Amino acid sequence: MLTENLKIIGVVVGTIGLFTLVANSIPQVQSEVPQDLSFGTDVTAAELTASGGLLFGSAGGCTACHGLGTRAPNLLTSNGSEGPIGARCGDRVTGESCKEYLYRAMIEPNVFLVEGYSPIMPDMRRSLSNDQIWALVAYLEAQGGEVTVTGADINQEGEGEAQTTMAAAPVPAGPTSDATDPLEILRANACLGCHVLSGEGAPIGPGFDGIGGRVSADYIRESILKPSVAAAEGYEAFAGLMPAIYANQLTAGQLENVVMFLAELR
Amino acid sequence: MATLAAATGKRKIKLNQNCGRSLFWPALAVFGIASQFASPDLLLAQSLEGVRQYGEFPLVGSRVAIWVAAQVHLLFAAFVLGVPMFAVVAEAVGIFGGDSKYDKLAKEFTRLLLVAYSATAIWGAILSFLLVTLYPGLWLYLTEIFQVSMWIYVCLFFFESFTLYLYYYGWDLWNTGRAKWVHWTLGILLNIWGTAVMFIANSWLTYMMSPPADVTPDTAPGMVQFWSAFANATWMPINIHRIIANVVFGGAIVGAYAAYRFLVARTDEERAHYDWMGYIGNLIAMGALIILPFAGYYLGREIYEFNQQMGITMMGGFMSWLWIIQAFLIGVLFLAGNYYLWVGMGRIPGAERFMPYTKYMLVVLVLGVMVWATPNTMIADREEIAAMGGTHHPFLGVLGVMSAKNTAVNLMILTTFLSFLLYRRANSRPTVDWARTGTIVQGALFVLASLIVVFYGVYGYFVPAIVRIGFSVYQVLAVLATIIGVITIDVFMLRGAESRGDIRWGQMPPRSQYALFILAVTFTWLMGLMGFARSGIRQHWHVWEVVRDTSEYAATPALGYAAIVISCCVLIFFTLVSFIFWLGGLAEKGTKASADSVAATSSTQGVS
Repeated sequence: MLTENLKIIGVVVGTIGLFTLVANSIPQVQSEVPQDLSFGTDVTAAELTASGGLLFGSAGGCTACHGLGTRAPNLLTSNGSEGPIGARCGDRVTGESCKEYLYRAMIEPNVFLVEGYSPIMPDMRRSLSNDQIWALVAYLEAQGGEVTVTGADINQEGEGEAQTTMAAAPVPAGPTSDATDPLEILRANACLGCHVLSGEGAPIGPGFDGIGGRVSADYIRESILKPSVAAAEGYEAFAGLMPAIYANQLTAGQLENVVMFLAELR
Repeated sequence: MATLAAATGKRKIKLNQNCGRSLFWPALAVFGIASQFASPDLLLAQSLEGVRQYGEFPLVGSRVAIWVAAQVHLLFAAFVLGVPMFAVVAEAVGIFGGDSKYDKLAKEFTRLLLVAYSATAIWGAILSFLLVTLYPGLWLYLTEIFQVSMWIYVCLFFFESFTLYLYYYGWDLWNTGRAKWVHWTLGILLNIWGTAVMFIANSWLTYMMSPPADVTPDTAPGMVQFWSAFANATWMPINIHRIIANVVFGGAIVGAYAAYRFLVARTDEERAHYDWMGYIGNLIAMGALIILPFAGYYLGREIYEFNQQMGITMMGGFMSWLWIIQAFLIGVLFLAGNYYLWVGMGRIPGAERFMPYTKYMLVVLVLGVMVWATPNTMIADREEIAAMGGTHHPFLGVLGVMSAKNTAVNLMILTTFLSFLLYRRANSRPTVDWARTGTIVQGALFVLASLIVVFYGVYGYFVPAIVRIGFSVYQVLAVLATIIGVITIDVFMLRGAESRGDIRWGQMPPRSQYALFILAVTFTWLMGLMGFARSGIRQHWHVWEVVRDTSEYAATPALGYAAIVISCCVLIFFTLVSFIFWLGGLAEKGTKASADSVAATSSTQGVS
C-alpha cells in the first residue's frame, strides 16, 4: 500500500514537474504595463523616439500585428520598395504630413486601411494616452524618416481633428547633451541601444568593437548622417531601423568626436 | 470620491457608496429604481472617499493569493458541477436499462461529490474574503453592478446544497417505483441549480473580460445596465465551454479516484468494479474532450468578435507561447487516453485482431502533436528574427499555421474516436445481415472525413486568411458528422450481437492506472493554464479598458512564473482531494462495518 502510494505521488509530482519545466524552458514574455508619459514643450526627438520604441515593443502591443507582416504591414522593414514606415508615411495621404497621417492612423485606424489587410486595429486612444500616441508617432517617423513631432504637437489644445490639421513643418531636434566625451555621446544618444561596445548595449546593429578595422571614418560618418543609404553586411533585414536624426541631434564637434573614436577601435 | 484607475490622468471611475447597504427589500427596490435615474452628479456626491484600492497579502503577495484561491475554488467547483451531470445519466441508465450496477456507480459518483462540495464552498469563501480585503475597489465596483445577481446566487447555492443532500441521503430510501423517479428528478434539479450558479458567476468574470461597448472608464458602475453587463459578449461561450470542460474534468478525477482504488484493492471483485469505474471515467473525459475544441473555437471567435486586439494578444501576442504549451498538454492527453484504451484491449477477448493497428494510430497521434506544437506567430526580437532568417522559420513556418494545426487536431480526434470504436467492437460479433456493408460504410466515412480534413488543410495555404478561417468549419463538420454517423451505425449494428467473451474486468496491468493519473493531472494543469489565458488577456485591466489595474501586480507575468503558480494550485487541489476522498473511504468502511455487524447480529438472533 505504501509503495503504491509513493508511486502515485511520484507520477503526480513528476507530471506536474515536467509541465512546469517545459513552461519555464520557453522564451519568457511578460506583458508590461504602459508607463505614464508626460512630455513638456521642450521634449526632444530622441526622448520621444526612445519612449515610442519602448511602447512599440511592449505595452503598446504593436508587434502583435505589425511585427509579423501577416496581419498588418510590417512597419520596421521595407514594404516592397517603399522603405520602412518613416520613409513612406508622408506619401500615404495627399496633403497630410507623415506625423499627421500616423497620428490619425492611430486614432482612426480604419480610415487608412492598407489594401489586403483587415480592419482589425483598435483606436489606440482606448489604451494609450495622447502623449504615448505621439511618442509612437515619433518612433515610427524615425524608422527611415525624420522625426518631426515636437512638444508643441503634444501639448496642443484639443484632440483628434484639430491636431491632425497642424502645420507639418519639421522642427530640428537639438543636441541631447553638450558632452564632448565620445562614450558619453554614444550613451546619451542611445546608440548602445542597438550597437554593442565592450559588452555594453544590444546586438541589433553591427557591433562597435573593432569597427575601425572594418570600415573607414568616412563610412562611419555617412552611416550616422544617412543611415538608410547602405545596410551593413549581415544586417540587411534591419535596414532602415536606425533613425536619421543624428544630423540634427549632434553638434558638428560631437559628430567628429564620435567618428574618430569609432574609427580608432580596431 | 475614489479613483480606481487613471493611467492617462483623465480616466476616473466613481464608485457608489450606497451599494449593498440597504436594510430591507422595499427600500432596496425603491433605491434600485431610483439609482437608475440618478444623475452622475448625484452619484458622484455619494461616492466613496479615501477607500484604499488594494490590500497586501504576506509572503506571496495579493495577486498570487487571489490567483490560488480562485483557481483551487474553480477546480473543486468544476468537479462538483461536472460529476452530477454524469451521475444523473448513470442513474438513468440504471433505471431505463434495469442494470443496478449503474445505479451503484451513480451513487458512488455522488458520494465523491458530497465530500468535495464543502471544500468548494470553503474555497469560495476564501476567494470572497480575499477579494474584499485585497481588491476592495474592484469588489465594490462589481457589487455595484451585480448585487442582485449575487443575492440570487446565494439562494441558488442554498437550493443546490439541500438538493444534493436529499439526492444522496435519499438514495436508498427512494430506490424503487415512483419514488425512484422523484429521486432522479432531484438529480436533474441538482444539475439545474448548479448550472444556474455557474452561469451567474460566469457573468461576473466575463464582464471583466468583455464589458458592453457603451461602458467606458467614465461610466459610473451604478449606471451600467445590469442585463447588458450580465449577458456580455463572452458570457455564453464561456458557459458552454465550462459545461463541457466540467464534464471532462469530472470524468478525469473520477478516473483517478477509481485508479487509486484499483491499485489498493484487496479483492478481485473490488478490482473489477474500480477497473470498470476507471474505464467509465476515462470514457466520459475523452468523449467530452473530443467536442471541447469546438466550444473553444466558438469562445475564441467571440473574443475576436468582441475585440480584435484582445484576440490577437491571446493568440499572437505575449501569450503566443502559451498555445504551444497547451498543444503539448493536449498531446499528453490524447496519448495517455489512447494508451489506456489500447492497454485495456488486453482484457477484451477478440481485441487482439485490432492490436496491429495501434502502432499506426500512434504514428498519426505523434505527428499530429508535433504539428500542433509547431510555433508560428511568435513575438521575436530582432536578434531572434535574424537567427530564424525571417519572421517565420523557413522549415517550421509552413507547419505552424492554422491550416496545418486544424488538420492535425481533426485527424487526432478521428484517430481517438477510432480507438474507442475498436475498443467497443472488440468483443462483439454483429449478427445483423448488413454488418459487412455497415462496416464498409463506417470505414468510408472515416476515409471521407480524413480526405475532407486534409483537402481543406492543403487548400487553406492558397486562399486569403478570411477564406481559410471558414475552412476550419468544414473540417469540424466533417469530423462531427463522421462521429455521429459511425456511432449511429454501430449502435444498430451491435444490437443482438454475439459476444466473443466477457471483458475480464480487473485484469488490467497497473501501468494503465497510472495513465489515468496522468490524465487527471494533465486536465487539472490544463484548466489552470486556460484560466491564466482567459484572465491574462485582460493584461493590466481589471475590467477590459474600463477599470485599470493600478496595483504593483498589474503586469501580467510570463508563462514560467504562471506555470509555478498553476503547479502549486494543482498540488493543493490533489492534496486536498486525496484527503477528502480518504475521508469518504473511512465513512464507507464505517458504513460497511456497521452493516456487517447488523447482519451478523441478525444472523445470530435467527440461529438462537
